[in-house]
Amino acid sequence: MDMKRSYYEDLRLFDTLPLGLWLVAATVALAAAPFLLGNYVLYVLGYIAINVIVAIGLNVLVGYTGQISLGHAGFFAIGAYATVLLANVGLPILLALPLAALIAAAFGFLLGLPALRLEGPYLAVVTLGFGLAVENIFAKASVFGGATGPAVPGFGVTFLPGFSREQNLYVLIVATAGLSLLAVRNLIRTRVGRAFIAIRDSDVAASCAGVDLTWYKTLAFAVSAFFTGLAGGLFAFHLGQVDPTSFNLMLSILFLAMVVIGGVGSILGPVLGAVAISLLNLKLKGLKMADFEQIPLAGPDIAAFLGRHFMETGMANIQFIVYGTILVLIMLFEPLGLYGLWIRGKRYWRTWPF
Amino acid sequence: MLKKLGNIAALAAGLFALAAPVAAAELTGVTDTEIHIGQWGPQTGPAAPWGSVARGTGMLFQMINDAGGIHGRKIVYHMFDDQYNPAKTVAGVKELVEKAPGVFGFASGVGTSPGLAVKDYLMERGIPWVGPAAGSLHWITPPQKALFSLYPLYADEAKLLVRQLVEKEGKKKIAILHASDEYGENGHRGAVQEMQRLGLKPVAEVPVNQADRDLKSHVLLLKESGADAVLMWVNPTHAVITLKTAAALQFAPQWATSSTLSDAPLMQTISGGLWKNILFASFSELPDADTPQMKQYREAFAKYAQKGERWGVFFMAGIGFVEPMVEGLRRAGRNLTRESFIAAMETIRNYKGILGTVNFGPGQRQGAKEIFLARTDDSGTKITQLTPWAEVK
Repeated sequence: MDMKRSYYEDLRLFDTLPLGLWLVAATVALAAAPFLLGNYVLYVLGYIAINVIVAIGLNVLVGYTGQISLGHAGFFAIGAYATVLLANVGLPILLALPLAALIAAAFGFLLGLPALRLEGPYLAVVTLGFGLAVENIFAKASVFGGATGPAVPGFGVTFLPGFSREQNLYVLIVATAGLSLLAVRNLIRTRVGRAFIAIRDSDVAASCAGVDLTWYKTLAFAVSAFFTGLAGGLFAFHLGQVDPTSFNLMLSILFLAMVVIGGVGSILGPVLGAVAISLLNLKLKGLKMADFEQIPLAGPDIAAFLGRHFMETGMANIQFIVYGTILVLIMLFEPLGLYGLWIRGKRYWRTWPF
Repeated sequence: MLKKLGNIAALAAGLFALAAPVAAAELTGVTDTEIHIGQWGPQTGPAAPWGSVARGTGMLFQMINDAGGIHGRKIVYHMFDDQYNPAKTVAGVKELVEKAPGVFGFASGVGTSPGLAVKDYLMERGIPWVGPAAGSLHWITPPQKALFSLYPLYADEAKLLVRQLVEKEGKKKIAILHASDEYGENGHRGAVQEMQRLGLKPVAEVPVNQADRDLKSHVLLLKESGADAVLMWVNPTHAVITLKTAAALQFAPQWATSSTLSDAPLMQTISGGLWKNILFASFSELPDADTPQMKQYREAFAKYAQKGERWGVFFMAGIGFVEPMVEGLRRAGRNLTRESFIAAMETIRNYKGILGTVNFGPGQRQGAKEIFLARTDDSGTKITQLTPWAEVK
């Protein structure tokens, strides 16, 4: 998409100076947020940041290595459970989180092994089975707390004296998301990242060029699972509760949708995708007849049409139609996802008005 | 370059502007003319049939507002769809609490895990919450100052059913089919305890997993145990599959089941007419009960109910779980604060609405304990109340 003129350009952490400045601005804004914003906004930002971590992790696998996974809710669950169980036996949370992520990574490595021989739909089914199995094991085994999950301990980390639980959590979640972004961006610029991309473009060619397929494919799964597990651990504290049924197939599909809607194989894409899907998820829930009346011009007609053909008790389901329509429109008009919009917008402004 | 720096400055300014209105005073959700009350409930997704609880509450508030409100204030009701997803429950609850004018408290709310996800948040802020629509011990262990529980315990229902089967109907071989979740385990435990007290043991204890759709092996275990009565502590889908499978296997014990399956007309429809001669526990009056209150509600339903709504147990539960909250608001008087409301709630004794008798008091947070048993007839359409309202001792 962006032309690179030398190897050094490709190696730079930030492509352009303005990009760097924007990142600084975003960092300042996010750092100021806990002092200025209320509990609800911090919760939403935290929810988005957790999804961002999952999306960039999943993107390492889907976007850069060209493998597919319908089982990432499983890694998310492993991260959540492992963090809570480790914290419950007395480990400090800041230690339990990375340890749990490593456990998730180990499972990612195991799941990566069948990926060596499977591709496309076959791999999708294997990962799907993994996700379903994990959900059921956690829900059924009494060591994991059964149907209501294990009790989540208090969040005893304090970053600034006087900060509330929510403010402290926000700092940890957003900082982790920032570091994860930086880590993945760095990873992709290294030998390992190039190996991933080579496998995605053609695994036979990559193998001929000396890329060890066994090692790098399983590594991609492990790295991806690491970030997803990390996000899962944060999620357990963010919600203050672990409910095994919430780690279901739908969640895996939403994760995948974040990456695809955002734009596979880029750093910014999954971030945009995670933000978009998270907001749609949280904001569409309150859709009412009155909201349709406010659509300019055709509003009253649309509302009247819906009133005739929908039962009031079924109205709430309209959110899924709107949700689906938005996703279809994005993919129809911008197959590269939200990242594609960004690229196009940038090109347009670069040449405008000359 | 300068232009870009300008952009950044504009962005930063925008973010600060967004942030500005937050540092306001505490929001109580009470104004001179309004009381704001919230509730979550699944309107979409697999749990959507329980969403009528929240709509029942809506009807109750509408009735109260049309009759002039409470001490000159109308109730403004904020119901939202959380799809039984705790992450969404938390988001919705925080949004309501923190967006002006805030909410005074929460009424009912379906589900153990959505409720658990917001319990600490609400209790830390002393925000009243009355009548969670889930039978869980979590609400009252330990008792919370601002949380008033009304759902009678599942274990009590199971005990009463066992007592009826053994003492009144002469059943000796009782088997238990239960969901392998908190709900199923509570019923299972209660039944086993009561059987021990009566010197019996269940002839079979068969768990059902959430994902199971073929229950033939489960029903065969029940049949082979020689059970003459089966306690069925499962969700509606599994209950229907169980009855269909049993009919195919010509296994016809006395079925007994919990209040969550007490919507007999619904069960009769979805089971294709198999919901016959079923013994069940109930925590609310029967839908066609002949009390003055129930007549009043049925008339209101005819007047207010939206297209597609049905007068069923869940809709009624949305009224029953919230009646005591309305009573508390009335008793708290014109000078309404969260403290005065909680104090007023503690004065509620022997209050009778749709549920059994409600008693709260200082330190007493499980308000309703009374239940009764009922039975559908051979046609599955007529329901008879078997026992009077009573607390299980």
